[in-house]
Amino acid sequence: MNRGGAEIAEPPLIGGNHDFGSLTTLICRLVERRAPAWWWISLMVCGSAFLMGGLMTAYVISTGIGVWGMNQTIGWAFDITNFVFWVGIGHAGTLISAILFLFRQKWRSSLNRFAEAMTLFAVACAGLFVTIHLGRAWMFWYLIPAPSVNKIFPNFRSPLSWDFAAVATYATVSTLFWYYGLIPDFATLRDRASRWLPQRIYGLLALGWRGSARHWHNYETGYLMLAALATPLVVSVHTIVSFDFATSVIPGWHTTIFPPYFVAGAIFSGLAMVVTLIVPLRVACGLQDVVTIRHLDTLCKLILMTGLLMGYGYTIEAAGAWYSGNPYEGYMAYNRATGPYAWCYWTMITCNVLSPQLFWFRWFRTTPWAMFFISLLVNVGMWFERFVIVVTSLHRDYLPSSWKMFYPTWVDIALLIGGFGLFSTAFLLFLRFVPMVAVSEVKAFLPQADPHAGSNPPARQAESGNGEPGESLWIESSDDDEEAPVHGVLARYGTPGGLLAAAGKVRAAGYQRFDTFSPFPVHEMDRAMGLSRSKVRIFTFVAGLLGVTFGQSLQWFLSASYYPLVTGGKPLNSAEAFVPISFETMVLWATFGTILGMLILNRLPRFYHPLFRGREFGRATDDGFFLAIDADDPAFDPERTAALLEQSGPVSLEVVRGD
Amino acid sequence: MVVIDESVDASPTRSEEALLPLIFTQRADAWLRRIGVGAFASVVLGVAGLYYYAPPEYTRVGYAPTQPVAYSHELHAGRLGLSCLYCHTGAEESSVAKIPPTQVCMNCHQAIKSDSPLLEAVRVSWQGGGPVRWERVHQTPDYVYFNHAVHVRRGVGCVSCHGKVNEMPIVVHEKPLSMGWCLDCHRHPEDYLRPPGEATNFAWQPPRGQNQRDYGLTLKDQFGIRAPETCTGCHR
Repeated sequence: MNRGGAEIAEPPLIGGNHDFGSLTTLICRLVERRAPAWWWISLMVCGSAFLMGGLMTAYVISTGIGVWGMNQTIGWAFDITNFVFWVGIGHAGTLISAILFLFRQKWRSSLNRFAEAMTLFAVACAGLFVTIHLGRAWMFWYLIPAPSVNKIFPNFRSPLSWDFAAVATYATVSTLFWYYGLIPDFATLRDRASRWLPQRIYGLLALGWRGSARHWHNYETGYLMLAALATPLVVSVHTIVSFDFATSVIPGWHTTIFPPYFVAGAIFSGLAMVVTLIVPLRVACGLQDVVTIRHLDTLCKLILMTGLLMGYGYTIEAAGAWYSGNPYEGYMAYNRATGPYAWCYWTMITCNVLSPQLFWFRWFRTTPWAMFFISLLVNVGMWFERFVIVVTSLHRDYLPSSWKMFYPTWVDIALLIGGFGLFSTAFLLFLRFVPMVAVSEVKAFLPQADPHAGSNPPARQAESGNGEPGESLWIESSDDDEEAPVHGVLARYGTPGGLLAAAGKVRAAGYQRFDTFSPFPVHEMDRAMGLSRSKVRIFTFVAGLLGVTFGQSLQWFLSASYYPLVTGGKPLNSAEAFVPISFETMVLWATFGTILGMLILNRLPRFYHPLFRGREFGRATDDGFFLAIDADDPAFDPERTAALLEQSGPVSLEVVRGD
Repeated sequence: MVVIDESVDASPTRSEEALLPLIFTQRADAWLRRIGVGAFASVVLGVAGLYYYAPPEYTRVGYAPTQPVAYSHELHAGRLGLSCLYCHTGAEESSVAKIPPTQVCMNCHQAIKSDSPLLEAVRVSWQGGGPVRWERVHQTPDYVYFNHAVHVRRGVGCVSCHGKVNEMPIVVHEKPLSMGWCLDCHRHPEDYLRPPGEATNFAWQPPRGQNQRDYGLTLKDQFGIRAPETCTGCHR
């Protein structure tokens, strides 16, 4: 841990004195042990809200949206406010999982899993609200360009079509990205599970993952590709959501600041939600060592930064209204600040611009309950921001004779609560069945994970049996059937450094059909094993190219050839207007391509592998570092291979039989 | 460093725990592959089935309800040569074509076959038993504002939407009447137009030497036909 006196010591990412195994146990505790009382109580409370929301949804769909408080003037209110609010919440998850990954922000690994889950459930809430706001929710499929007997297709020049493509792509890509990150962790849960059903369920979800270095190699490239795809995607989503407003002519909506202002607001609100969730959770789940004060401090700094961006956005809105000289814009700004909804506006300013300023003080950034309180304020403020944008812009437009007020009905309020019920219930179920921190990722940031970490000899000496006589290293094969052919020899090492050195030796001895297995990707293993650059990127590129071609030609064919209908005076082939959807199809296809590429190159799913017969092999997804030499390697010789491995410093050795 | 030593202490129990039987045997992969292929095939079959069985081409076409009176269009409109308009008086001037009242039947059947057992229901109606309860065959949904007269007077023949009724002993729903089917004609009316006076003529052909499309284009031009393709053309 002490790396040279000259460097300024960075506080460690993982607190406490954890080793690989204790970290796994700590993170998986909520999944593997009996659920604690707080979990059941929260589930009952949130589940009730969820059930009520479900009933309200059924009521709204069966009765019609006339039960909401909207009217002719205010055609969008709580429905779109909630939609934009929840889509925004989702953005922080992707920021943490993708954008910070590209920026090599290692601290993200303690937060990305649950932030991504937050994204998924927030997008599900957004999907709920945007679907029921259609009125005839069962007709939502009209947005999909699926051939039907109606022989009509969506208008691809409309931001509402773009919105559907963006949100649907975002939901799909976020889910897949989340699942992709979970594959090694599902394998960990599979190997640690002792009951029949969890073994099978986690086993199926893990797709037969066994932590092979060759797999990690493709997996990591795929992860990088997915992060690179999700980064522009997340920016595009709230940009397009803002187009729903900005391309209209309503004062207060028709402004060019909207796209960046929406994206900043989305990340701002999402980060606040991350803080709201993690501050109580890290205590409840005992994860203070994994999500340290340093993590919270960094989150608070990000909230402060995006809060300043919000302040800039609000200022520009008002300044634009003044500078344009447009009386309608001017009145809109005046009406927001002094009209009947002024209290919403000032709530928004107080919560979003003023309250984050407290994060200039270190005390607020390092005191969990204080930042929890501020994050709640930001959540409230961001909800009100969407309300201000949607309702106050609509309620007084060009015609004073149509000016109206919006008052929510009990159904509006119940659905608002129901949305939070859906979100929190899904989140609680996530906590119980999926590790809330990316186990395989955080392990890689332990000091011991560095293969060159020379300063922790106790582990090395204790775990490696170098000095022992050879026979004690061999463990009995678990397979009683001695007649089964030998699959290979499996060696376990105590540290990633030991494994790396052994892999180098085995390769130098001329072996080709060998592989190493570790709970996280070991640095430099690619080079030690002589792996060439992963081909996953080719899958990504080709699929992305096909996706963009598909998107552009689909829209061209349907809009300009098959279903030529002039809308808004735009040309039939409006290539520029087709860009957003082509971009979304590119990201979607490239994501499919990347994941498919990883699976194909790794020959997964493969649920049975002879190595799973290895007695200790389950530790490859927990705290064991394994090297296996295949018996069909041309250089394989029972005597000499065994001798080579005995000299490579393993903790134990095993002959694996089976085919 | 202390904790790392602890892990060494903990490791023996961990490796005893690791004596687990295989979760998936060799056969599991084969089975899961089969299940995967089966699931994929069912999705493909499901979508194909949906596209075959759900559209009106399947659900509506072929609908031929039994009517309370065994009235044959094939006899009346075909062999006897009655005009469509004799019974469906609204076809040319109303938004609906109209089902004839019993009076229309009795115009002839007071004199012809007046005691045929097949006409029992008509006679009951005529003697004050209420209208004949005909089963409706062709029906557009409530949200479609279909005007029958507009189509007939601009030269859309009966046959284009109802098929060769003059050859049907029992009326069969021959065309799908789906929105896409409507749009086929609205986008290219020239493929179906005929001179307005010929609307009820089942045997009409374009004039000698001209094909339907060219002749249809002439008519389209002549009568200024602009079949609407916008939503509000039919849904108001």
